[in-house]
Amino acid sequence: MIKKSMWYSIITIAFLGFIVLSIGFYQAIYATTKVTPQPSVITEIPETTGDLTKLPTKNSNSFQVLLLGDSVAKGTGDEKAKGFTGYLPEVFKNITSKEIVINNAAVDGLESLALLEQLQSRRLDKIIADSDFILVSIGGNDVRGILSLNSLAKDDEFKVRQDGYLSSLKQALLHLRTTSPNSTVIFVGLYNPYAKATSAEDTRLLNTWNYNTQQLVEEDGNSIFIPTYDLLKYNLGRYIAQDGLHPNSAGYQALSNRISKSVETILSTT
Amino acid sequence: MFSLIENEVIKMISKKRLLFVFAILIVLISVFAYGQNQTQERTKAQLTQRMGITATDDWRKLADQQLIDMKNRLDSPYRGENSKASLRVRMEQLQYNLDQNINPLEQSAAKFTTRFMEQSIFLFLPLLIIMLAADMVSGESSSGTIKLLLVRNVPRWKILLSKYLTLIILEVIVLFFAFVLSVVISGIFFGFGGWFAPVATGFKVLAGKLDSTSVLNVPQWNYSLMVYSLAFFVAVVVGSISFMISVLVKSTAASIGIIMSTLVAGNFISFFLSDWKVTRYMFMVNLRLTDYLSGSFQPIEGMNMLFSITVLLGWTIASLIISFVYFTKQDILV
Repeated sequence: MIKKSMWYSIITIAFLGFIVLSIGFYQAIYATTKVTPQPSVITEIPETTGDLTKLPTKNSNSFQVLLLGDSVAKGTGDEKAKGFTGYLPEVFKNITSKEIVINNAAVDGLESLALLEQLQSRRLDKIIADSDFILVSIGGNDVRGILSLNSLAKDDEFKVRQDGYLSSLKQALLHLRTTSPNSTVIFVGLYNPYAKATSAEDTRLLNTWNYNTQQLVEEDGNSIFIPTYDLLKYNLGRYIAQDGLHPNSAGYQALSNRISKSVETILSTT
Repeated sequence: MFSLIENEVIKMISKKRLLFVFAILIVLISVFAYGQNQTQERTKAQLTQRMGITATDDWRKLADQQLIDMKNRLDSPYRGENSKASLRVRMEQLQYNLDQNINPLEQSAAKFTTRFMEQSIFLFLPLLIIMLAADMVSGESSSGTIKLLLVRNVPRWKILLSKYLTLIILEVIVLFFAFVLSVVISGIFFGFGGWFAPVATGFKVLAGKLDSTSVLNVPQWNYSLMVYSLAFFVAVVVGSISFMISVLVKSTAASIGIIMSTLVAGNFISFFLSDWKVTRYMFMVNLRLTDYLSGSFQPIEGMNMLFSITVLLGWTIASLIISFVYFTKQDILV
């Protein structure tokens, strides 16, 4: 008798289950194979280039600032959604009476090689040529991946990454300089957002990275390396955003202040 | 026919093998749930250590922040349509978390149940099915009971078909219990909610690259249904193949050994997938169907959902044909 009722419950479950699973199976195939019309991909690209060429062209009454690189240049992490785009004009206004025009071409998560590709696509060339200041923040995403490696692999991987990074950066800077011979390149150095959980070894690597970057950036007389490591070291709680990685609003403001102090003379004389 | 199937099902129940399968399920799900629980605690601890206490308690602020960032990214003209679709999907998910006050770090029974099947679809589930399928016919041969079956006035193909349908019924039952058990056990650890949270799916491979232009969110219950359906399909495929081997080989131990070593070998073979093209026609490397849903597969030119399902179907049909032809033609010494 028990076996009989078990048999009936089994056949019911199996029958209902089979129907439900067939529906799910159909849905799964539908979800992964249905073809959606996607003309947007084709129309998107000319649109963006159009946008860029329509931007205000150079005139002597304005300073054009171009932001290039990763999320820090982009302004990610700012709870007021301003970033350098918002704060640089604010602090520059105190020094010069000229209008400040910001073009933000930064992309979240960009690595040095991708920056080089972005530049070599030549879509930005016109803006680069018109810019008076070019702010570059790159390398954070290059170096972040090696933090999790163990100490044996770390040293080697660091050298490999750093070599790749330096050669990409070198070409990127060269591209900027040939496209725009008179602009001032402002390179924002790396800071350490994880001060609480970083070994002395990691700190040494980060300093090496910053040092080599600075050497490379300042080979060019018209470029400046802005350190950020010192500014944020004891102020992580105040300047780092909730995500524990990017600067927050106050952080971007502090960095903008530092940058404006460094280029004060260029701003006020030209 | 109906009574033949009933007979076979009752035979399987009284063999206690099904109970073994359930026992294994209970033990493994409990272990996984406990492990997930531990991992979750550890992740929280790590985040807390790294970013101060705020990360776990103030997740709403963090989520708000991420939403703003993603909105900014969406507005950027420097991003392709490809990444925009996945951004939109992630924004929807975050927004849902905020609206429903669900910490994205928290596990839920729904998430766990889905993940459990996603993890077990390529090895664990097939092994359970093999336990059931591998002795369906060979067990009768080795114990000699096959004679009693065949002397009855029923055509041989009907006997084999009833055995095969019994296997399919048992596959549904195993999946049903895997689902119920994992909901109940993980519910005790993580709470029973989470069935309406949005999950991203709809990834495709275009020209050897992951294409996320048509990504969309589906509710978690629907996603789990799809995962379990694909798992059922995999169960039928593996079941059919082990059924064939069980017809071909007389000893149960040999048939379990053959199909299990094939499965395990499949995990090595998938390493050669990208440069050794023949391997993609093997059934073992096509078992990870759920990866197509979640977009977590390695994009390999020419491999997509339809391809895998076609290959698996081909194997199933081939093994069924072989089983039936062999079983009806072979001599059985009475």
